[in-house]
Amino acid sequence: MINTIRAEMLKMRSMPGIWVCFGLAFPLTALLVWAIFASAGGFPGHTYYYVHTLNEKRQLLGAGYYGITFLAPVLGVICITSEYRHKTITSTLVLTPRRERVLGAKIVVTAWWCALMAALALVVAIGVGLPWNAALGGVTSQVTGQLGAVIPGLVGATILLGLFGLGFGTLVKNQVAGILLVIGGTFILEPILVALARAIFHYDLNWLPTSAAQALAGSLARGFGGNHDAISHLLPWWGGGLAMLGWGLIPLTLGYYTTVRRDVS
Amino acid sequence: MSQASATRGLPVEISGLTKHFGTVLAVDHLDFTVEPGRVTGFLGPNGSGKTTTLRMLLGLVTPNEGQATIGGKFYRDLPNPSGTVGAVLEATSFHPARRARTHLRMVARAGGHDEARADVVLDLVGLTADATRKVGGFSMGMRQRLELASALIGDPDVLILDEPSNGLDPQGIAWLRDFMRYLAGEGRTILVSSHLLAEMAQTIDNAVIVSHGQLKAQGTLESITSGVAQASMHARTPEADRLCAVLDQAATRFRRLAHDVVAVDGTTPEQLGPLLATNQIILYELTNEGADLESIFLSLTSGLGFGGVDQVDQSA
Repeated sequence: MINTIRAEMLKMRSMPGIWVCFGLAFPLTALLVWAIFASAGGFPGHTYYYVHTLNEKRQLLGAGYYGITFLAPVLGVICITSEYRHKTITSTLVLTPRRERVLGAKIVVTAWWCALMAALALVVAIGVGLPWNAALGGVTSQVTGQLGAVIPGLVGATILLGLFGLGFGTLVKNQVAGILLVIGGTFILEPILVALARAIFHYDLNWLPTSAAQALAGSLARGFGGNHDAISHLLPWWGGGLAMLGWGLIPLTLGYYTTVRRDVS
Repeated sequence: MSQASATRGLPVEISGLTKHFGTVLAVDHLDFTVEPGRVTGFLGPNGSGKTTTLRMLLGLVTPNEGQATIGGKFYRDLPNPSGTVGAVLEATSFHPARRARTHLRMVARAGGHDEARADVVLDLVGLTADATRKVGGFSMGMRQRLELASALIGDPDVLILDEPSNGLDPQGIAWLRDFMRYLAGEGRTILVSSHLLAEMAQTIDNAVIVSHGQLKAQGTLESITSGVAQASMHARTPEADRLCAVLDQAATRFRRLAHDVVAVDGTTPEQLGPLLATNQIILYELTNEGADLESIFLSLTSGLGFGGVDQVDQSA
């Protein structure tokens, strides 16, 4: 299993797709840092202002989360669908004939790269946000004091979003379709479904992937400007975690039985 | 053809192997054994079930009946699969953005082999100078070599090659032929599938011929090509017309190849010589063209059938 994980790690590292995801995570995080300072300002005479509420301090540290929300599932989709796109699945399964090991290794590797992406987002947020905050007159220690509250949600939600993408990719196999469906499903279809369910049935579909991940992200999920109403419908953080785990494991299990175990011809 | 004195390979055994894809019967109760220390050609036209058989052997396709084992074990049950079996299945199965050495390091990692083997096998297949190039820029021949390097990373005892000469230029084919002979000379088991008969005839020791998923012939190349009644004698004579009349009278099949050359089919020198002597036909030259692998293959796989070939040397 260790050998398979090591091989999968190198495989991911040598794919351009993953570096595109990381490349996007960097400017997106910086952009969101800018948005937080703009949001903290926005009153007469102040275009930007240092973060001063608890929410804003946590939002600054976890700025990358909102960008990662779509990059992590894409990374998961790429991890498995590139095997089918480039027909490397044959050699992968010849090298590791125990297919459950291949899938297990891909779970570990996706989790690792997603955690790394979350860490990078944190580093970028600190690297850009703290000096800017200090320049605007903010107190650095008050922001860094929120690291403990931010890190578990940032990392946990990112990993589970990645596994969601991996499971989805295992089911669909086609890379382009997988990426479009994951992004379209979570950012277009899910909000529509949530709105319809709320309007028609007065029911919160808070267990769908984006909402569940948002619940897990906890301290990060309060929306810009400290809008608490935006999260009032969410599950508790552990409920969001369990829902996300389900969104990852159910398609992974289905994918294993319907795709991975099938004949490779 | 060489027979290794010290055998390091393992036998490959195919027993009653059957595979349906929906209503299509791809492999039909196939039985054969591949011996170590020899190059065995797995021959058949496109769509004859060769690739499906090899994929069943490697656990990529699940058979409906029968089994395929390597050294008595299923591939997936081998303790060190890539250290026991090296497989070349398709030359396009590379990520185009990956560099050759990185690909091989990845293969080495997956099999639990020393990553330094990457450079060893790159050298072995003549790709050292291209180690840092991306595979996307490789020619088909280079991809075949890289695929072969991947198969060799674990220094395996058994090599399974599916159409390895596809895309290779004549120089590459000659290289591959020598390479397979070299590996078989080390006692490894080499099973190579192909539909290129002329090429295979120069390379293999044994042949397994399949058509429509069924075994048509197996044995040593010599037994298949010489022990059958398909031998064709070419007689060069100034009395070609009279020879044709004699052959016609003797109900022997013949073809007029040139004004002075007659090909006499289904006979041997021992049969034809006395006939010519009895009729006092002047002969400049008599050559035994034998039955080449290609003509036997074509007759077996086209359903015409050549009497006796199916039965040749099943134990070889």
